[in-house]
Amino acid sequence: MVVRRRQSIPDQTVRSSELTPEKEEELSLAAPKLGLVLSILAMFLVPFFYFLFVRYRMEIEIHLRLSILVCVAISLCGFVASALLIPVAARYLLRRNLFGHDLNKRGTPQGATKVPEALGIVTGIVFLVVAVSVQLAVSFLQYNLTADSDWLVEYNAALACICFMILLGFVDDVLDVPWSVKLVLPLFAALPLVMAYAGHTSIIIPKHLVPFVGQSVLDLGWIYKVYMIMLVVFCTNSINIHAGINGLEVGQTVVISVAILIFNLIQMGASTDPDYKKAHVFSIYIMLPLLTASLGLLAFNWYPSSIFVGDTYTYFAGMAMAVVGILGHFSETLLFFFLPQVLNFLYSCPQLFGIVPCPRHRLPRFDPQTGLLIGTSDMNLVNLFLRLFGQCTEKSLCIRLLIFQACISFTLLICLKIWLMSAKMHPT
Amino acid sequence: MAVRRRPSIPNQTAAPPNPDPGGDPQPPNAAPSLDQFSLAPPKLGLILSVLALFLIPFFYLLFVHYQVESDLRYYISICVALSLVGFVFTVGLIPVATRYLLRRNMFGYDINKRGTPQGEVKVPETLGIVTAIVFLVVAIVLQLCTLTADSDWLVEYNAALACICFMTLLGFVDDVLDVPWRVKLALPFFASLPLMMAYAGHTSIIIPKPLVPYVGLSVLDLGVIYKVYMILLVIFCTNSINIHAGLNGLEVGQTVVISFAVLIHNLMQIGASTDIDYKQAHAFSIYIMWPLLTTSLGLLAFNWYPSSVFVGDTYTYFAGMSLAVVGILGHFSETLLLFFLPQILNFLYSCPQLFGFVHCPRHRLPRFDTQTGLLTGTNDMNLVNLFLRLFGRCTEKSLCIRLLIFQALSCLMCFGLRYILAGWYK
Repeated sequence: MVVRRRQSIPDQTVRSSELTPEKEEELSLAAPKLGLVLSILAMFLVPFFYFLFVRYRMEIEIHLRLSILVCVAISLCGFVASALLIPVAARYLLRRNLFGHDLNKRGTPQGATKVPEALGIVTGIVFLVVAVSVQLAVSFLQYNLTADSDWLVEYNAALACICFMILLGFVDDVLDVPWSVKLVLPLFAALPLVMAYAGHTSIIIPKHLVPFVGQSVLDLGWIYKVYMIMLVVFCTNSINIHAGINGLEVGQTVVISVAILIFNLIQMGASTDPDYKKAHVFSIYIMLPLLTASLGLLAFNWYPSSIFVGDTYTYFAGMAMAVVGILGHFSETLLFFFLPQVLNFLYSCPQLFGIVPCPRHRLPRFDPQTGLLIGTSDMNLVNLFLRLFGQCTEKSLCIRLLIFQACISFTLLICLKIWLMSAKMHPT
Repeated sequence: MAVRRRPSIPNQTAAPPNPDPGGDPQPPNAAPSLDQFSLAPPKLGLILSVLALFLIPFFYLLFVHYQVESDLRYYISICVALSLVGFVFTVGLIPVATRYLLRRNMFGYDINKRGTPQGEVKVPETLGIVTAIVFLVVAIVLQLCTLTADSDWLVEYNAALACICFMTLLGFVDDVLDVPWRVKLALPFFASLPLMMAYAGHTSIIIPKPLVPYVGLSVLDLGVIYKVYMILLVIFCTNSINIHAGLNGLEVGQTVVISFAVLIHNLMQIGASTDIDYKQAHAFSIYIMWPLLTTSLGLLAFNWYPSSVFVGDTYTYFAGMSLAVVGILGHFSETLLLFFLPQILNFLYSCPQLFGFVHCPRHRLPRFDTQTGLLTGTNDMNLVNLFLRLFGRCTEKSLCIRLLIFQALSCLMCFGLRYILAGWYK
């Protein structure tokens, strides 16, 4: 749920547009927090390149490594484009009255500022251009996506789904569509994915359950396809409800996509099956542009936010990650990375389904005196953390939640590494 | 160029509709106008007759005249059925969307009715978004129904969806944010990139027989130049519909005429050919054109004169892209250009003004005379004004009908031309 409602009530619109002529020149976004974002970028690129060029030098073929390098280069251009276009777009969005007020600063002067909304549209468009450019560059350099390659189907299906989701997200941000539409349309957006999924629909039964089930491999058929659609609807909406703090939506996406990228490299290094590697390269081609475009957005959205990302961003990010999880065949791992979102969703269920009263925004309470957030009894992770660990500033709360996200992801990655290493030492 | 600019300039917005500067808590001023606002009923009689006019020859050709394989007939029939469902949804959703669009101040005033009471009405803008979204949903469901998971055409289908969706997104962003015109021109380029990847066809052209002695070859492989041609075609199709506009129902009307011509062409090619791939290419085009046609007819029900909704750049970009996509992926782009003849003429005639050699006003619209209710042609260099100057003043509705008849006649002429020239240059 996007928590910063723009003032769309008409009489306020008339007044604010009467005010706009003088204020239009006043919009100057706070400078982007480039130091922070570039350090995050460096912190990611160092282990990424280590895995790519040192640790898995032997295991990953040179053509794959070079194509990933091309992808990194183009994605970094996307980062620059994102950071440059956001201030430009912010002016246009503000002029069209697409703004909100920061509810977590209500009572302070910052709470009265008009914060441009729906900047996710810039991220989304930059992502699409970068993703297509990567596709073209890699095929032009003839690395592994040729015009008649199998992965072209998956790639185009991914683009179509993600693009449709960005469109729906932006239409939602502009028109404020009812929630029933918000739930139904992602179902249709997920359908090209279902068509393009040309993989197994069977799951491996855990060994200790085999006696009960009677089989070691169970073919789910169309149920698996339903699961895929549910996964898409879940990923898009779960990021949307684990929100409300400056930088939380983009921050969690950055953490999860870094984890996915490292996971992709580890799996490529551990495998000898070319199709398996291709699946993970495909994921990298989508996650890298997502990561860099999101970092460009985070430069403006990190606390204190000078822009808001809108449902456009959360839908886009959720869809992108669901797409790579499904088409890269690691959706179970994806759900593990999404554990905080899963917990937040489960914990929120009573309020979401109306069993417990659900206010418009399930935000913490802001105390203008102390500048700290206090947890309400709303049932989501944001308030839970405040209740468990005490009041704190919005920035520290966001950092705590992101650390929680990172810990989960990296615990999983470390367990995976250990498991892989032990499998090598004791081959079965 | 969408000619009905919403009053997004702040001082114009400030002037009406709220005369007293407001201190007393009057009720939110859109609430009364939203309750008062009720869309004129759709012109269903007209639209359904047009639809019947299309369905009869189409089904005649499909089931009677040509011997088409039964599974292809079956899929095409499913396509038509789903597209008709899309038509119903479009007609049902437009009034709903209108309320949301008005609430966000996305409306314009009909400049061709300025001075009459109708010129004061706030006409909701950008209803092309409804058409485009219904189109995308229908096209996606069609993909499930007509293709199997290992079909070769899956690449083209998904690339087409991606391009059309991206173009719709960019068109909607343009309608909402009003991007500068230089950006507007470049947008179709980005949206066409997935097409470049997916086009797995020949990039060679057949030299017309009379020119072979001069060129020295009968088939010339253009390679990368053909891809450039494809991008230019996309940019042309999207923008040419945009500038051949300005009258109630013209943008949607021309799209309806061209897409119907394309559908007939597709059927004729399927009927006349024995090559499976060739038939598949034209079937692919049918699967995209039918949803475009029916959702556009749904929009036309409200947009036909007198327009109760405006379509926005979203629609013209979406329609132009869809037509360009089928022309490219169906391998009949030259024929498509023939159907676009009025748009080409309009573009060429407009060039002096577009490139600034002749002074170009904000809207190159005819002049509306409130006394007679007729439009008078100005000196602007486009087909709309040319028709007025050549054939005399007339009402907006008759002018639109004249232009659409011109579109239909030039499509017919192109069918004739193709038939006559078939032996001569190929």
